[in-house]
Amino acid sequence: MPKQSGRALAGGLDRRRMLSGASALAASGWMAGAGSWLLRPQRAFAAAPIKMGIATDITGAFAPWGNANWQVAQFVVEEINAAGGIVGRPVQLHLADTATDPRIAVGNVRRLIQEYRVDVVLGGISSAMRQAIKDPIVNRGRTLYIYPEQYEGQECTKHLYCTGPTPAQQCDELIPYLIKAQGRKRFALPAANYVWPQQLNKYVRKVIEANGAEIVFEEYYPLDQSEYSATIGKIRDGKVDCVFNTVIPPGVQPFMRQLYEAGFQHNGGIVTLIYYDEMSLHHHPTRELNGLYCCLDYFQAVDDPFSKGLQERYRKRFPDTKYPFTAGTGATGLYRGIKLYETSVKATNGDLAREAVSAAFDRAKLENGPGGGAEMVPGHMHCAMNMYIARCKAENNTARYEIIAARTMVDPREC
Amino acid sequence: MVDAIQFAFDILSFISVMVLVVLGLGIIASMMGIFNFAHGEFVLLGGFTVFMVADAGHNAWWGIALAPIVVGLLGLVVERAFVRRFYAAPASAILGTYAIGLVIRETVRTFLGGHYESVPEPWPDFVTIGAISFSAWRSFIIAVTIVVIGGSWIFLTKTSTGLKIRGSLENPMLARVCGISTARVYALTFAFGSALAGLAGALIVPLYQLSADMGLRFLVQSFLSVMVGGVGTFEGPVLGAITVGALVAGLPWLAPPVLADPVALLIALLIVKVRRQGLISRGRK
Repeated sequence: MPKQSGRALAGGLDRRRMLSGASALAASGWMAGAGSWLLRPQRAFAAAPIKMGIATDITGAFAPWGNANWQVAQFVVEEINAAGGIVGRPVQLHLADTATDPRIAVGNVRRLIQEYRVDVVLGGISSAMRQAIKDPIVNRGRTLYIYPEQYEGQECTKHLYCTGPTPAQQCDELIPYLIKAQGRKRFALPAANYVWPQQLNKYVRKVIEANGAEIVFEEYYPLDQSEYSATIGKIRDGKVDCVFNTVIPPGVQPFMRQLYEAGFQHNGGIVTLIYYDEMSLHHHPTRELNGLYCCLDYFQAVDDPFSKGLQERYRKRFPDTKYPFTAGTGATGLYRGIKLYETSVKATNGDLAREAVSAAFDRAKLENGPGGGAEMVPGHMHCAMNMYIARCKAENNTARYEIIAARTMVDPREC
Repeated sequence: MVDAIQFAFDILSFISVMVLVVLGLGIIASMMGIFNFAHGEFVLLGGFTVFMVADAGHNAWWGIALAPIVVGLLGLVVERAFVRRFYAAPASAILGTYAIGLVIRETVRTFLGGHYESVPEPWPDFVTIGAISFSAWRSFIIAVTIVVIGGSWIFLTKTSTGLKIRGSLENPMLARVCGISTARVYALTFAFGSALAGLAGALIVPLYQLSADMGLRFLVQSFLSVMVGGVGTFEGPVLGAITVGALVAGLPWLAPPVLADPVALLIALLIVKVRRQGLISRGRK
């Protein structure tokens, strides 16, 4: 989730983090430690383990996203180890809590590199976090870094691979669909005031204008704004027929509420929230989500046997979890990242040197994954993957996504 | 005309939310001289009560009825256990209540697993009259706010308990000499202010997501309201909340939203600068 830590950090106290951290860890059966944890492979291996660092937000405002990433990491690595590891070597996970706070994150990530000497780091939710930890990992740490979230693009650092969707992957199909198939002509771009919406909207503007529709207004709000009547007024007066929404929690809930109460959807308006997945469904009353359009690399409604099996095994591993295996959290990108890393190390025949693995990663392919396979685009640091346009359907107080359109192996068009 | 009515309704509904949130804080600050930094968390607990009740499958109305009672009782306990030790040192009270708020916030965060939860309101829909749409729940909040303001005003100015509360504020020594147990009066006032916070939380939580930081969002605006309105009277904080609420909801119509917040703060601070005692400055000298 390319979100910024924002005002949640204003009251940033360690005690708060420790408490919420303890709860999150208790939920997933872990003990609290001083910012990092270790998961050893369960069965005995003769060879030394491959050390994989996961740096994600276990505590703080993005804890739900981070915990989903961490659970998926455990799930995938356990499966890899159960199948004999990578080239006979087990994978050992090291977790660093980035705590939704880049200042704390840098110290914890440095420990992964310097103390535990991990061979690869995966993680980061917000773009602010990626910016903060990429230097300690890639430049000073000389370690491979894989960023799993959908984000605003333009990250072209060497040895930093992005396995989540890019603006091109999320918008190139969705926006023309809205304009051509749904007849939308007048867009509004309300957005949270930070890097992801600002950069994404530059791309969105291009696509909308190239397809012959009009942008009535593009506007940015403080992250926790609670009153949107002025914006709703502009949407009404400007005869907007599609709201391309990049407001984030906690502002997004009152925004969606006021938009619904103004009768926007009732009068035929369309709303999109491209980062929304199954985990976000309980953030709003279902009636407000009815008809919402999203575009991600995986939805639980995707009907291929591999994705279904994956979802089933995950549910078995984490029954009744609060952190489902979804795309908006970056968990699917994380799955892809770990599996592509596995493929790369197999290709180097167990050589873990960064240059060798990175060269293999650049061309790595994954046959199966959540929502389908993925292929790194050589030299472009990003991967082609299947993309899905989904519409939220609310019935009897439950909401789910229906797949409207699917496109295979969409090019990331980055770098 | 249509726009004007819609505009007025939107502003009024946000002002009502502000007044509801500020009222409990204002009463405790005005009548006891204590700035309760756990106020935001009392509001949060009101919302959390509704969430728990609705989550257990009961009607949300029960949660809304229960919230002021639960939070009021908690306020009573907090006053007896902690706050009463701070009456001599209001600055320590700020730190002490902040700590209490922190404990509440983190406990709620633990229960929610860091998630954002949507809480349903009992009257979900909106009413469309002509080209104007009124949210049923916002209309209800406006009505409740008026009733609560009226009720609290009558309670504090017309009843003998209210007289005792005001007397204990004006001159605690004399009040004790007259046979008023100031300790009991303070406990009651704190519980009353807390109950109002609980009610506010229960009513506004359907408009916003329930998350552990829900109370924090209103904290700055609430304290600003009390400062603008002036401490020492009942009317002061209410007037302050109306001013701040109108600024926060109205300015985005005129300025880019990112600028509206700082501008609202600036105007409020100018008011405080010009009228040091707040808009209404009678009462405690």
